[in-house]
Amino acid sequence: MTNPPTQHRAQKKLRNNMQEGTILAITTVSHPPAGFNKAPRNIALIKLNNGTRVLGCLTTMDSAAIGKTVRPRMQLQRVMETGLRIYDVSYEPVLMKEVKQESLDHVFPGYIIALSGPSGVGKSTVSSLLVRTASEYVERVPIITTRKGMQGDNEEYIHVTNTEFKEMCDRGEVVACTNIPDRNVQRQYGYKAKDIESIWTKGKIPVVVTEEHLLQGLSDHFGRRSLLSFGLLPPGESKRAMLSQLLHRLRKRNRDTKESIEDRIKNAEKDIDCLRERNDLFDHILVNEHLESVIDTLVGHVMNTAKTK
Amino acid sequence: MEKAIYIAGTGMTPFGEWWDKSIRELMDEAVEKALESAECNALDIDTIIVANMLAESTSNQAHLGPLAANLLPHAPPALRVESACASGAIAMHTACGLLESGRSETILVIGVEKMTDIAPSDISTALMGAADAEKDAPCGLTFPGIFGLVASSYMNEYGLTREDLSLVSSRHHANAAKNPYAQFRNQVTPENVTNSTKVADPLRMLDCSPISDGAAACILSTKFASSFRLAASQIATDSVSITDRASLTSFPATKDAMSKALKEAEIERDEINHIEIHDCFSIAAVINVEDLGFAEAGKGINAYKKENSSLTINASGGLKACGHPVGATGVKQIIDSVKQLHTSKKQFALTQNFGGACASCAIHIIEQV
Repeated sequence: MTNPPTQHRAQKKLRNNMQEGTILAITTVSHPPAGFNKAPRNIALIKLNNGTRVLGCLTTMDSAAIGKTVRPRMQLQRVMETGLRIYDVSYEPVLMKEVKQESLDHVFPGYIIALSGPSGVGKSTVSSLLVRTASEYVERVPIITTRKGMQGDNEEYIHVTNTEFKEMCDRGEVVACTNIPDRNVQRQYGYKAKDIESIWTKGKIPVVVTEEHLLQGLSDHFGRRSLLSFGLLPPGESKRAMLSQLLHRLRKRNRDTKESIEDRIKNAEKDIDCLRERNDLFDHILVNEHLESVIDTLVGHVMNTAKTK
Repeated sequence: MEKAIYIAGTGMTPFGEWWDKSIRELMDEAVEKALESAECNALDIDTIIVANMLAESTSNQAHLGPLAANLLPHAPPALRVESACASGAIAMHTACGLLESGRSETILVIGVEKMTDIAPSDISTALMGAADAEKDAPCGLTFPGIFGLVASSYMNEYGLTREDLSLVSSRHHANAAKNPYAQFRNQVTPENVTNSTKVADPLRMLDCSPISDGAAACILSTKFASSFRLAASQIATDSVSITDRASLTSFPATKDAMSKALKEAEIERDEINHIEIHDCFSIAAVINVEDLGFAEAGKGINAYKKENSSLTINASGGLKACGHPVGATGVKQIIDSVKQLHTSKKQFALTQNFGGACASCAIHIIEQV
């Protein structure tokens, strides 16, 4: 098995491998070597856009074939006996969608400001304050959700039933949706294209609060370029410190039950990992230690964006 | 060749799983047979070259030169050569250099590998040492995986079908049935190959050469003449990592070594009657036939679709069916070529032995005089 120093040297070139490429050859190794997960590994020889060739794992074999385009994605590859966690670039086959003729008129529809981050980091607070501070430039997009209303919710949510939500999805009105499960119920969240487009019509920038799937959905529908995406992190040197900060905040806001807080912390860990693993989806990472400075930074970006419109 | 180099004696162990024999015992058996077949005696050997790739990992035994030297009463000077799966043929090439320079007169070349002592996953990791540790191995690739990539690329480029590819191993098994030294002497049908367990898509288990134990020894001499001599010994190299190659469907090192070998032997390709090629995986055999110039690019499989009486390919069973104790293979190919020439009474035979994904390649042309 590759030893840590070899791995370390190989990883120095990792940044170069974070780019799109084309599959030249592909195989599935049924019995990976000692030290790797026993599951078959899908490995491809990829020609990157800068002309170099690399060997890398594919995240899935769905629509993977010679000549297909792939994009990079950081992934945990294995955990060594010493506990060392080895991350490397994997490649994800890009699903090509047919370009609809009418959508060609709207190649770049406009900007959307997306705020992502773990539960309790202050996404809602930041978005409310941002909307209040720069109300002539930005407007919040209502979230369609199947979860029950609760104390502390403001006008940001539109509550619907599961059936209604499904119907909206089937009609194609919901462009991005995600399921954030509670221990008792499935909770769906989503955004409607109509809501976002109506804000653009007013000449304003829509603000959405997202997580990985919502962000991906919006990026797929409107194009990654349309997203001005901010990742919010709680202060803290390590993931553990960040999580304890979140726990503290969630308890302090006194809105959730003990069980709900536990669920939220569980999801929060995934969200923190997502900021690192899907860094292709984020433009800026902000640490929410002083609310004022976060708002100042955001307003600064809004003004810049508004000017370039 | 600067001097006439004769193959004065040959000997090998049957290839297989030799649980009860150590690396020393395997070498001893091959050396004894080689000396028996030669006109010279043990004391005429002035140098020993041992070809081996993995003894440190598989037998905790490095320092094979002196280990082999002490098999002979006078413990002649000895050295070891490593070039992954091409170790055997590269050792033969090293011997040629010493003989041509006049530094040695009679050299005993021993190829040996003892692979079945450790778990298959460990042997797989050890064999990956032949690839690039920083460019190829970190993603979890294995050698079957590398040739899986080669096969997928070849199939995509030339439209080779899975059914056609299965003809390769089937033919090699049929040939091995007649070879008492072969590891697998059973017949397999192309359907058996197609339906065997997946190893590295599109390659199946019966596309892959086995893990084997074995040793082969060859005495090369400028002093003791015999009916067989080396007409050419040439080596060539390529990048170790497949990420540095322009194409996966052809191995330039083979082409390079082949053109130099034909020039050295001063013969034409069609004068060759027997070839022993490096079929570590079935797809490699198809590519080798093309790179050696016996078929056009993309048409290598035709050599397996119908038998050609004027050119035999891997009559020994090749690596697939005769077995592939990596360090021994290059030496064994030469021994088999001598046997084939002896039987057919033809003049020229050729061996092609490569290491890694043909990052090192050695070609020998053997002449019956």
